[in-house]
Amino acid sequence: MFPILQLGPLAIQVPGLILLLGIWVGLTLTERYAPRRGIAVNTLYNLVFLGLAAGIIGARLSYIIRYPSIFIDNPASIISLNPGLLDSWGGSAMAFIAVIIYGQKKNLAIWPTLDTLTPFLAVMAVALGLSHTASGSAFGSETNLPWAIELWGTQRHPTQIYETLVALIVLFIVWPKREIWFTFNPGIYFSFFIAISAAFRLFLEAFRADSVLILGVFRSAQFIAWIALALSLWAIARLQAREKPSSAASS
Amino acid sequence: MKPDRSKHWILISILILVAGAAWVWVSKASPGSTTGGGIPAPHEGFLAPDFSLQTSTGETLTLSALRGQPLIVNLWASWCAPCRAEMPAFERVFNQYKDQGFLILAVNVTSQDDLSNAAAFAEEFGLTFPILFDTQGEVSHLYQSSALPTSYFIDKEGIIQEVVVGGPMSEALLRIRVEELLNTE
Repeated sequence: MFPILQLGPLAIQVPGLILLLGIWVGLTLTERYAPRRGIAVNTLYNLVFLGLAAGIIGARLSYIIRYPSIFIDNPASIISLNPGLLDSWGGSAMAFIAVIIYGQKKNLAIWPTLDTLTPFLAVMAVALGLSHTASGSAFGSETNLPWAIELWGTQRHPTQIYETLVALIVLFIVWPKREIWFTFNPGIYFSFFIAISAAFRLFLEAFRADSVLILGVFRSAQFIAWIALALSLWAIARLQAREKPSSAASS
Repeated sequence: MKPDRSKHWILISILILVAGAAWVWVSKASPGSTTGGGIPAPHEGFLAPDFSLQTSTGETLTLSALRGQPLIVNLWASWCAPCRAEMPAFERVFNQYKDQGFLILAVNVTSQDDLSNAAAFAEEFGLTFPILFDTQGEVSHLYQSSALPTSYFIDKEGIIQEVVVGGPMSEALLRIRVEELLNTE
């Protein structure tokens, strides 16, 4: 685990740095194939950066709304650089709303947009695995398997490595250069990515030691992954049954 | 999708979902297997590793003896600029919440500092919470400190709720985390 990179007086948070690199690599890969799905590169960048900006504002607003008196006493904290004052739920909600509004204004069709963003999401999954490897978060349960790693006081499943390897496999499968991914109806590429990612998450969660439990025994992430898997399989069936857009356009 | 292929897809989907549900059942968590439990480690969700250090007043403080009080263990050094920047906020927050049982243990990493500089630093900021001296670097090693300052937010049960590496932390962040610690049952 390698949480901090000390460069002279600067202590750089390696997990955050990896995620930033992931955004850059993901966008670089995604922009190359966006035009083939009818999304202009500028639109793609606007969409992603609007989502990120709205996410950061929403994440901070969420804290300000919950603790108004503290921020009235310390107004400078409203623009504090502390990442601890960013709430992930508030940020996700605001980013989602901003992206939906922008998409509607630009008349972006939802499935081709999601297909366009799929390589970005696949790269971010790899970056997330690497950032967990750097921080030691998302740690595994105790084991005495030969490939166990010493972490947080005991020998554990290297779940961060599993997560990274699986994300790399998924990225390899959904690699956007493959011609086959342009032959399906819009939405199938994205739904397939969600289906395999959810299936792998459902499997790997069993080796985690930090799962949030339901009823004291069931892992909540597995429930969410199972629902995502079911919805994506259903979406693939529905989307495949649709008429191809090319034939629709010619009719 | 042709009707036959559609039927195959539905069948395959059902099989996948049944296998997934079976895996959820098989991989149920056994009691105590999904948290840090009683294992001491310097990470969120684990028991804060225990230590005993001498304070600036000559008293010896043991972390485990303070169980029942929410607290912050802050590792700092007098030469560290972010430590200097955040210390006044620590003092204000301590004064605001100390009556509710909240405590700050400011552990000077004396093995990387100078005792007289550390004492002067505490005096300069008028710190009223305990200042502990890690002269051998044991606590810094035990807590795998890789940068200064590092703050560990520890609940009443002695479990680390959050680790903040680097600084300075804003006063709002400190107050919010302290209120969350005080409100945790």
